Amino acid sequence: MNKISTLSLLAFLLLAMGCNKTYPMKVTYQATGAVSAYNLQYLDDQNVLVKTTILPQSEQDVWNYDFEAEQGDIVYMNGKYNDVNSGLKLQLLIDGKMYKQASTEGDTIKYVVVSGTVPYE
Amino acid sequence: MIRVFSIIVLFLGCVWTSKAQSILINGRIKDSMSGEPVENAQIIIPATGEGTVSGEDGFFSLSVSHEFPVELSVIHIAYDKEVLTVQNKKSTGIILYLNPKTTYLDEVTVMGSFENEKPYRTETISAKTITKTSISDIGMLLRREPNVSGVKKGAAGVDPVVRGFKYAQLNVQLDGGIKIEGGCPNRMDPVLAHVDINDVKNISVYKGPFALKYGPNLGGVINVSTYTPRFYDAFENHIEVFAGGQTNHTGFKNSFGVNGGNDVVAYYVKGNYKQYGDYKAGNGEVISSSLEQYNVGGKLAVKPAKGHTVTVGFDRSWGRNVDFPSLPMDERKDDTHIYNISYFGTDFSRIVNYIRFKAYNTHVEHEMDNKNRPFSDTVVAVSQIAANNTGGKFGINLNLWKGRLEAGVDYEQINKDGNRYKYLILQPNLPQVTEGLWNNAVIRNLGVYAEWQRSFTSLDLIAAFRYDYNTANSDTLFRRKMNGQVVYENTNTSSTFNNISFSVGLTWHINESNSLLFSLGRGVRSPDMTERYIILLPVSYDPYDYLGNPQLKPEVNYEADFGYRFMQKTAGALHVSVFYSIVENYILGELVPPSQVPPQTRGVLGVKKFINIDRARLMGFEFSYTTPQKYQWFARLNAAYTYGVNPKTVQYIRENGEVVGEQIITNDPLNEIPPFETNISLGYGFFHKKLIPELDIRMVAAQNKVSVANYEQTTPGFVTLGFVLTWQQSDMFTLYAGITNLTNAAYYEHLNRRVIGSKSPLYEPGRMFYVNLRFYL
Repeated sequence: MNKISTLSLLAFLLLAMGCNKTYPMKVTYQATGAVSAYNLQYLDDQNVLVKTTILPQSEQDVWNYDFEAEQGDIVYMNGKYNDVNSGLKLQLLIDGKMYKQASTEGDTIKYVVVSGTVPYE
Repeated sequence: MIRVFSIIVLFLGCVWTSKAQSILINGRIKDSMSGEPVENAQIIIPATGEGTVSGEDGFFSLSVSHEFPVELSVIHIAYDKEVLTVQNKKSTGIILYLNPKTTYLDEVTVMGSFENEKPYRTETISAKTITKTSISDIGMLLRREPNVSGVKKGAAGVDPVVRGFKYAQLNVQLDGGIKIEGGCPNRMDPVLAHVDINDVKNISVYKGPFALKYGPNLGGVINVSTYTPRFYDAFENHIEVFAGGQTNHTGFKNSFGVNGGNDVVAYYVKGNYKQYGDYKAGNGEVISSSLEQYNVGGKLAVKPAKGHTVTVGFDRSWGRNVDFPSLPMDERKDDTHIYNISYFGTDFSRIVNYIRFKAYNTHVEHEMDNKNRPFSDTVVAVSQIAANNTGGKFGINLNLWKGRLEAGVDYEQINKDGNRYKYLILQPNLPQVTEGLWNNAVIRNLGVYAEWQRSFTSLDLIAAFRYDYNTANSDTLFRRKMNGQVVYENTNTSSTFNNISFSVGLTWHINESNSLLFSLGRGVRSPDMTERYIILLPVSYDPYDYLGNPQLKPEVNYEADFGYRFMQKTAGALHVSVFYSIVENYILGELVPPSQVPPQTRGVLGVKKFINIDRARLMGFEFSYTTPQKYQWFARLNAAYTYGVNPKTVQYIRENGEVVGEQIITNDPLNEIPPFETNISLGYGFFHKKLIPELDIRMVAAQNKVSVANYEQTTPGFVTLGFVLTWQQSDMFTLYAGITNLTNAAYYEHLNRRVIGSKSPLYEPGRMFYVNLRFYL
């Protein structure tokens, strides 16, 4: 019985060793560089596309949204402004590191889009 | 090639002219429960004291000076003693099934103690072979057998090819009747991908359209037998632990099982876990090949009365993040459920040998995406598919017309449904598109079969018949563009077929050592889900979107096999087989003008629709030789070759990524046919075969006979060396340590698909070291 117990323990350890747990990653959306109101659309932690309007006080103002995501989750944000004297810089950070960014200045026609999937490695 | 044939002919000539001084009885000992060969069984003639011992592969050869009939006693410590009477020399080539002690009976048991060797080519892979390799995928393991190859697209799920037949042309099943329908249209999860290699007790490959009791069979049957519970006299429990680890394709495969029971109840519970990373090919290239797979399963067997066994089983498996560099997507998750119940009963009457029944349900939920691919920066595509297979089988085995008749009925129903979701992540408002991959498609197959065997003085006869009633339907097949414009629509999705298959086989025992084998068969199979209902996906070898055709006709294979078998105690065992096959209504793709249906996948050249061509031909041979078991050293040699040809086909001429014309090609080789291959194993058993070093040499010729019409690329030949050291301390502990691809050769198989988006081949792993440990208590 001792041998069986030892082997069972060994087997359990071998199987447990194999269990590969994945941890959620911190996703941060950031918007900056605008001098006047702009519209943002982003995919939130519930996978819902949220629309919002931001009124910055200055070009240095930074709008932030953080949430936790799993590997493979889609991350998405777009922005648009109507003031030709303004601009917009969107950044997408994963675990504090820059993942994607895009920006325009004086372009009121095109959307600024940053998107991707939370990488697996 | 000519040299190899010359050697074979020379060898045949030598053995043909040799004359035995005494009568030989040749045969093979197998476990009635698992079908595995039984090693070290003693075969004794009590009257004279003459005897021998079965070898690793269960074969024995016994010289008999006694007059017939001869009574043989077969003794093994783990099995019930068997006594059988050999009436005359026709009984050479017999298979004797031993019952594990405590009189366990399973459905593979053949009443009357022995059955004849099949007249058609059969390959058997035992659990021991599986345990001593580093291989973690069943399809990959099968590639070591003569004329069995596999289409490889990624880290797992190698899709077997037998004598050039593949996909639905092969009947792949578990435990003699359980079917699984994979979810992926690109077959990243074929049947064998849903079974853990550590759960396999043995694999049988029945080549040709001859074995008809397993279901519709066009080109061959692959039957994977998994572990089974075992009954004991008194209540016992045992545990089995396996741990294997390797370098390069760095990872491990572990398993833990518990089994036990008494003479009424028996159980088996087992779990497996494996995880591997990318690997480095011999040229240093890193190949995406990581995967994670685990499963848990169990079986419970009950004997409500003597001679009657009911078994229920389940298996639940999970696959996660499996890389497929040759496909546009990777497997994100694959959840498989297998449930089954079976009954096996004996002791009914002198006429009824046994009755068996099996019912099953398998369900696969498959999800894949392109999130690890560069293209996902623009469009993230996620496919989710549910595939369900439900069926059953009833069979009765009778002593009839001086032979044995097995007759029965089987049924299979496949349901498949699933969508692809596209997220256009660079566009404002994140638009999403949903496309139906399978639209509630259903295929039903009801079959009736009969197989009759009889032995004459020096002749064994086997004849089989099968009738299948096959129906299929699906919701409307359609594809729309994002703006709603219909690209393709087909409402005519129903079809019904009545298929008749039959085969006949003869074994002529010329004398004690030599047998000639002949089989002739007609096998029919209906088109599968992909061929009937796929909607504009690049699912084949060539870069075209494929369109299913619900009105396809079934393929029909007319095949003839001829074989020669030699078995002698002092000279070993040799088996040569040749085959010739004509497949009518062979299913291939035909180009559809872009004005009719425009392609929907980026990078493809156009759209092809599955059609029946008049016929294709396949031919080839297998050769195998094993040295006698009486020596400490051993050598095994096999060689195989297949050639397939399409008598008349069309080549679509390409220029700058577009089809600009076409031309007729005659006698075009079929694509994805493996080249000529030879395998040699050499070994020696030290310390009463406790320590066995073994060298494996694999020589694969270049494949230059490629399909011109399909722009198939040639593949260079290669040689690989492998070494494995087996140390069997006792029945309780065995250690295997080995090296594969010893010379770190950079090579790839002809059937490996190209890495997608490139012309780069999918290289096999470079040098790899591995260790496997097996404990059994």
